[in-house]
Amino acid sequence: MNKNKNNPFKTPEGYFDSFEDKLMDKLSKTESTIPKDSAFKVPDNYFESFNESLIGKLDNEPKVIPLFPIKKIITVAASIAAIAIIALNYNWSSSSELSFSNLANTDIEAYFENNDFELSPYEIAEVLPVTNTEYSDFLSSPIESDNLLDYLNENVSDFDEFNIEDNE
Amino acid sequence: MIEEETLVLNLKTKSKQAQAFEVLIDTYKERLYWQIRNIVLSHDDADDVLQNTFIKVYKNIDGFKGDSKLFSWMYRIATNEALNFIKQRVKMQGVSDTDYQDKLVSNLEADVYFEGDEIQLQLQKAIATLPEKQKLVFNMKYFQELKYEEISEILNTSVGGLKASYHLAVKKLEQYLKED
Repeated sequence: MNKNKNNPFKTPEGYFDSFEDKLMDKLSKTESTIPKDSAFKVPDNYFESFNESLIGKLDNEPKVIPLFPIKKIITVAASIAAIAIIALNYNWSSSSELSFSNLANTDIEAYFENNDFELSPYEIAEVLPVTNTEYSDFLSSPIESDNLLDYLNENVSDFDEFNIEDNE
Repeated sequence: MIEEETLVLNLKTKSKQAQAFEVLIDTYKERLYWQIRNIVLSHDDADDVLQNTFIKVYKNIDGFKGDSKLFSWMYRIATNEALNFIKQRVKMQGVSDTDYQDKLVSNLEADVYFEGDEIQLQLQKAIATLPEKQKLVFNMKYFQELKYEEISEILNTSVGGLKASYHLAVKKLEQYLKED
């Protein structure tokens, strides 16, 4: 794509499409000071005996032996469930689908606690609604406005940066 | 070597499963081992993770839909298992990720299964300073000599992005080795 019509020079077809690949290939061929052997060793016969030890591990996976025969449990459980439903006057018309509001806050917190989310604060900020958000949503104790002013006085050298008047 | 499709089919067929699984282990154990070893560094940990990887593959083979190659699917499981192993250790020991990486590398000095000279030890120290993605790409390309297309399928990243990551990694490593 030559933007300048007066430019008589041309490039081979597909030159720019493959440029990055060629450049990266060339760049990646310059590894000179890095030793090729990682120097990691394995114990003798490790790979030869690996199959055996793995298969042994699979065969020896602990099996759960039921303490009570399953049929008995089902019978008992079914009768308890039937009694419970009648006793609680179960509301059949209510929807059985789980919704977000069914989750206890502690469950949600535990989920966030125990799972790794590779989200940066910016990514989280993108999905958080900005409108109707108050400081008090994040902070357990409110910020005193005097403290806020003190902080700004001490830490902000140029109030013009805020463009306060433009935004108000 | 047995065709991949036949192997997958046999793995899903009860009567042929055991034999097919042996073939699977024979075909991939070494390659997966080195992928894992480059992440967890110690042989014993690599052995644990490799066994868990194959157990996971064995239990989940029915869920393998053939969208990707069996090879990349297993590599992905091995990589995730190894990274999760590290994360669990970091959490368990209550140290930072960097401190844990430093500890792993300093353990190499006393590791009987690491026969590196000073430069190779320095290289491992340098690799430990790389961000996770660059570390993975460097190990896969440099030590395991995988093709960019293969790495791209395993890590689900574009070939262009991988080349850039690899180049950056090499530059950082060279810089680190020169400084020391």
